[in-house]
Amino acid sequence: MILVVAEQREGTLNRASLETVAAAQSAGDAIKIAILGSGLDAVAAELAKADAAEVIVVDAAALKEYTADGWVLALEQIVAAERPDRVFLPHTYQTRDFAPALAARLKRPLVTDCIAVKGGGYVRPMFQGKLQADVAVDGPHLATFQIGAFRADALKTMSAGSAATRKASIAIDASQIRQKPDAPFKEAKQAVDLSQAERIVAVGRGIKGQEHIALAQKLAQAMGAEIAASRPICDAGWLPMDRQIGSSGQTVAPKLYVALGISGAIQHLVGMKGARTIVAINKDAEAPIFEVADYGIVGDLFDVVPALIAALNG
Amino acid sequence: MAERETLEVDVLIVGGGPAGMSAALRLAQLQKEKGGEPLAIAVLEKARESGAHMLSGAVLDPSTLKDLVPDFKEKGAPLAIEVRRDDIYFLTRTAKLRLPITPPFFRNHGNYIISLNRFVKWLAGLVEAEGIDIFTGFAATEVLYDLSTGAAQAGAVVGVRTGDRGIDKHGQKKSTFEPGVDIRAKVTIFTDGVRGNLTKALVRRLGLDEGRSPAVYAIGIKELWEVPAGRSEPGRVVHTMGYPLKMEEFGGGFMYALPDNLVAIGLVAGLDYKDPMFDPHVAFQHLKRHPVIASVLEGGTLVRYGAKALPEGGWYTIPKLYAAGALIAGDAAGFMNSARLKGIHLAMRTGMLAAETAFEAVRKGDVSEAALKAYDDRVQASAVKKELWPVRNVHQAFGYGTMAGAAFTGLSLVTGGGWFRDPLPAHGGWTRIQKLATYYKDARPDPDSTVNPVKIDRQLTFDRLTGVHYSGTRHPEDQPSHLIVHDASVCATRCREEYGNPCIRFCPANVYEMVDAGDGTKKLQINASNCVHCKTCDIMDPYQIIDWVPPEGGGGPHYEGM
Repeated sequence: MILVVAEQREGTLNRASLETVAAAQSAGDAIKIAILGSGLDAVAAELAKADAAEVIVVDAAALKEYTADGWVLALEQIVAAERPDRVFLPHTYQTRDFAPALAARLKRPLVTDCIAVKGGGYVRPMFQGKLQADVAVDGPHLATFQIGAFRADALKTMSAGSAATRKASIAIDASQIRQKPDAPFKEAKQAVDLSQAERIVAVGRGIKGQEHIALAQKLAQAMGAEIAASRPICDAGWLPMDRQIGSSGQTVAPKLYVALGISGAIQHLVGMKGARTIVAINKDAEAPIFEVADYGIVGDLFDVVPALIAALNG
Repeated sequence: MAERETLEVDVLIVGGGPAGMSAALRLAQLQKEKGGEPLAIAVLEKARESGAHMLSGAVLDPSTLKDLVPDFKEKGAPLAIEVRRDDIYFLTRTAKLRLPITPPFFRNHGNYIISLNRFVKWLAGLVEAEGIDIFTGFAATEVLYDLSTGAAQAGAVVGVRTGDRGIDKHGQKKSTFEPGVDIRAKVTIFTDGVRGNLTKALVRRLGLDEGRSPAVYAIGIKELWEVPAGRSEPGRVVHTMGYPLKMEEFGGGFMYALPDNLVAIGLVAGLDYKDPMFDPHVAFQHLKRHPVIASVLEGGTLVRYGAKALPEGGWYTIPKLYAAGALIAGDAAGFMNSARLKGIHLAMRTGMLAAETAFEAVRKGDVSEAALKAYDDRVQASAVKKELWPVRNVHQAFGYGTMAGAAFTGLSLVTGGGWFRDPLPAHGGWTRIQKLATYYKDARPDPDSTVNPVKIDRQLTFDRLTGVHYSGTRHPEDQPSHLIVHDASVCATRCREEYGNPCIRFCPANVYEMVDAGDGTKKLQINASNCVHCKTCDIMDPYQIIDWVPPEGGGGPHYEGM
């Protein structure tokens, strides 16, 4: 049996959790999904749509806020009770924080950042994605899955009704939790997690000047997309650094990625090549971005983008 | 705020390359031989892990290794393969001419083709097995001097300070701020490599280059390829002269065939070229397209990319090697044989000799300049001097052109390296770069163009940015630029007019770019996080206003297998 540990924050499910359930479905084993926190009804209901044996809701006051100790203590008890052969987790920042400690506590190996399930083992990238290693593991273990490696929209759902939901009780003494979380850090500006965006409009050097960013923003608005950029744009300060896609920025896998005036340096491609549909608009027909694009328009973005906006709004 | 910590050691080695590791290992050996109270020894290395910033061809002359680690074979030294065949070609654009005999300098019988990255990692393992601490991820940024006046040791080197961590782009402290550490040592051995930032400061402050010829460097660009099975001949060493370099340019290409279908190829170009539009990266792409190289690489895949400067000046450019509390060894001092294209064994040897001197001095309790002169005596009496003396004028002779240089190198065998003038007059490499108006007269090219463009097909040839990706280079983005241009106003005006911004060409990592300022003019943009730590900009900038300083420790390339 595979136990998937889903992730939520303040009652909102992290989309990567569903990708991890999809990963578990690809392994062809029985699946249980655990969700930890407090006030989890809505999240549990969302998870129960997935084709799984059971959703285990671990609702405890001590888990109201995320702490590494709390998660390790709770999951240790869940694993002891459920005895899964494998524990799957999304490779999020939160997972990276507690999973090594959990693996050590369970004395089980941990395979990180996997992109596929292969036989009884996994495929994971090495050397900045240059190699893909097949990893074989003996015995019970934990595995984390790279965001975007599986598609949440490819998730098999229950043909009728929803998966059984069960509350699991665990014993955690607040004194066992050594971390004292502060209020979550909120940036003054609305911070974005581009990895959660379904549509992205990204701009590159072809946008020429800061004054033209507004044009790309208009397109993003018309499409209901987030705005992002390649490195030179963020370096120049035309967009904040948290909008940067690529090896020194974020890695994203939206449904639709529109690249405006982005040449497609390999540093950028590694951050977005997992997008399902890539549309590239560039003046240079030789630009490497066209090698990964599903749809390419060789043309001046200052002609193409206004036409797109007009079509979308009209 | 966190207090600055201080660490006290007897001998500090700054830079964990072949010289530094050999020094550390030699110190451990002396400790065992002589017994007594063990010395506290530390090695500082700016790379995240040992060997990560190591880049060389590399063909190793194992003479020093045999002395340092006599049982190197049993200890599993990663010497990939013994050289089996040596060829030298003179290239023209489309043709090749194989030299019928390989000149003695180039004979590599008994030498090994190695990955310097693997070799240094192995040395680091031996050093750590002796209980010596290698602090990786710590870059030294300042030399510490004894500032007391009047005392016998006033002005002596007493250690180094490592760089602060957690400073943002604007120089403000981030929440992760940690001040650098002062590491105080009785003797500091500077093995910070070619154009090392500390050695540069030390030489300037103490005038250690007085009476020496100006240092001369070259830039080496290297790629590691995996080629289709059966294409390469493991153990084969190929050197090329001529194309893609002009006759007035010093340098040449190399192709070393390793086991497992791996091939190292590279181009070395003297950083004393005249043509301000010369672009070593483009020249390297041209080299790969030449049939001699392309026939081996075609259908293969690029594995790694990197670049590093080399000290080419030879014996007369080596600075005074000692000062109170300080010794300089390896590439930092310029120990390289440019006629044989070899320096690893010299770095190792000088590291050993520095270690012997440091050990003796610490034990005697005398680390004065007079006591440390023993290092210079050791170098003078060593195989290093014996090897470098006959070729002391070779690079300078190449200043008269490839033909004159090659002829002189040959003649050196007869004359013992002397000439009617000895030393041959020399100039800093950067002084030879000519202005656009001088070099191109009325046919001045556009500074943003490439004079001799090459097609980038992304199979055999790549642009710089792709190269950077394959160098594995990473730096935290939110930190101050570690390339300090003291007067960036020169760039868009004077330099653009006079030299056409040569930095955008000589930098092999796309660190320097001239971008539109938005008002019709250009401005310099420094992409510091691309930097592969080759030091070329610090060396070659015609105004000498670029200072390379270490970024936050741990940043830089990751030369796995290079």
